[in-house]
Amino acid sequence: MSFVLGVLLGLAAGVVSYLLFAATSRELPIISSPESTTEIDTRAQENIASLMQIQDAISSLSVGVVVVDEKGVETFRNKLAESVTGIPHADVLVEEVVEQHVKFALNGETKRQVLDLFGPPRKVFSVSATPLLIGGAVVMIEDITESFLVDAVRTDFVANISHELKTPVGALAVLAEALSQEDDLDIIQRLSEKMVDEAIRVGRTIDDLLELSRIEFGGEAVKEEVDAEAIILASISRVSPLATAHSIKVAMIDLTQPLKVVGDRRQLASAIGNLVENAVKYSEADSSVEVSARADGEWVEFTVRDFGLGIPSRDLDRVFERFYRVDRARSRDTGGTGLGLAIVRHVANNHGGEVSVTSIEGEGSTFAFKIPKFVVHNQTLMKESA
Amino acid sequence: MNDARKTFHRDLEDVQQELIRISAGVVESIPKCTAVLLEQDLAGAESMISADDEIDARTIDLEDRCIQILALQAPVAGELRQVISALKICAEIERSADLVVNICKAARRIYGHDFDPRLRGLVLKMSEQARHLFSEATSAYMTMDASRAAAIDDMDSFLDDLQRQFIQAIFESHAAGRIDLQVAIQLAVVARFYERIGDHAVNIGEKVRFQVTGLPPDRSGAARHRQRLTGDPTPFSGIQRPQETPPTSE
Repeated sequence: MSFVLGVLLGLAAGVVSYLLFAATSRELPIISSPESTTEIDTRAQENIASLMQIQDAISSLSVGVVVVDEKGVETFRNKLAESVTGIPHADVLVEEVVEQHVKFALNGETKRQVLDLFGPPRKVFSVSATPLLIGGAVVMIEDITESFLVDAVRTDFVANISHELKTPVGALAVLAEALSQEDDLDIIQRLSEKMVDEAIRVGRTIDDLLELSRIEFGGEAVKEEVDAEAIILASISRVSPLATAHSIKVAMIDLTQPLKVVGDRRQLASAIGNLVENAVKYSEADSSVEVSARADGEWVEFTVRDFGLGIPSRDLDRVFERFYRVDRARSRDTGGTGLGLAIVRHVANNHGGEVSVTSIEGEGSTFAFKIPKFVVHNQTLMKESA
Repeated sequence: MNDARKTFHRDLEDVQQELIRISAGVVESIPKCTAVLLEQDLAGAESMISADDEIDARTIDLEDRCIQILALQAPVAGELRQVISALKICAEIERSADLVVNICKAARRIYGHDFDPRLRGLVLKMSEQARHLFSEATSAYMTMDASRAAAIDDMDSFLDDLQRQFIQAIFESHAAGRIDLQVAIQLAVVARFYERIGDHAVNIGEKVRFQVTGLPPDRSGAARHRQRLTGDPTPFSGIQRPQETPPTSE
């Protein structure tokens, strides 16, 4: 894809330079043969018109383009390349790399460099320069932030799923081996308890994975009228044993009016339940969790707020990924499967809504789960979840 | 003569351009070193520590170029100030890059130790503030904007505040037994590094103001000293420029 684009751009830049060259060299015959001035004038004008058109086309590309002549002097720069990042100091760094690559290209080399700028916001650029046949070079600056992040998600997912499934299975194997050589009843008791724990753990991960893929592919979503308050109360009662154990107070902020949403009761309960459960798990002892819902135009927004650990800002946009963990060590203690928030996001997508999070480390997090009051086309919205 | 002047002006521009580039690199390295610290990225720490050698080489080269301009071209007035402030800013940038390296080294020392979310949140805030100050200083230098440069000093007090909060939080964390003494000390030192980066940004701002206006800083200890001595704050009274606190040694 990027290669094709490169070739196209190279061609376009070549044409631009050629036309520039042609337009300037045509001035010579004007002096030597004055009788054909008008004809040459029209041709020159046509050339300039098509030149402007190509410049226009290149300017509208979502790739930064810089063209230099054989001495390295800039002859053209499209609008995007004027400020690739929009941040002055970051532009300086991009410019430095562009300059290096112009030198490479003028020496006949084509190299590509990935520039990882921490921002914030984090941006990743790919810079490459290609020599042009008639001399000079074209530099392309491409924003690859999105594909870079998607790649990171994919690699992490593969690494995580093997970790999540292999760890308990490995533990089971070791425990079973130890058990087979043990005579002491106490130790046998303890080992088998651990085996049960690990088996439950891997079982829960598999359950969640199945639930996730069921929601992901949109199967059997029922549309019915669901009372928001009932969902919240059900979620709260589901976590109450866990909350009591850590003396965390989970409270619903009274709704100002009865709110109804249309959706799959089971999926919605699972989503809000997951949010409340997370809030409790990541709260400090003796703190509180607040759950509420309110109408917002055509939407109903559920919010779950805790005053716990909070989420580091670099993790904020990744917490909804499957198996993404902010703190691996802690999540083992809390017994999460790492799939809860992914399920929440897919339920929101299935209902044509969205889920978002705001958080400050050390102060707490607020999750907002927003779905329309009336789901009109459940079927079409499901596709988004892929 | 005309040609010589042309080269001279090009040299001046080159010096300024190179300084902006090195400075922009340092701005970028601040959030990078924070990521290294918070994510305990040892490989990242190593690569950042060795990347500092390049900055050292570039600043030394830049200093040479400035001295050469001074010796061969004998610039005066605004151009003299331009070379002098470049020389001084160069040192501030080099020192700031060293502080970034120091943070990476601290990250190496506390490898394997976790610290609480509140401390992590404050580290992130300090880093963001230090980055902001340095990026403002770089922008002020790029645009030769004296008022923008002057604002950096005011923004610095926020970073100082954060550092105090952070030290307090370290005490609390240590008292509650969540971090051991070694980690507590390393973190306190890290806070100092961020705070120093902010101070260097303020200094760069002062040099930008000097380059634009020709006036020495008016809120420093030197200015107060001048006031006490003469009661007559003449800008160029032969009194020494403000002494800076000696940089933390590595």
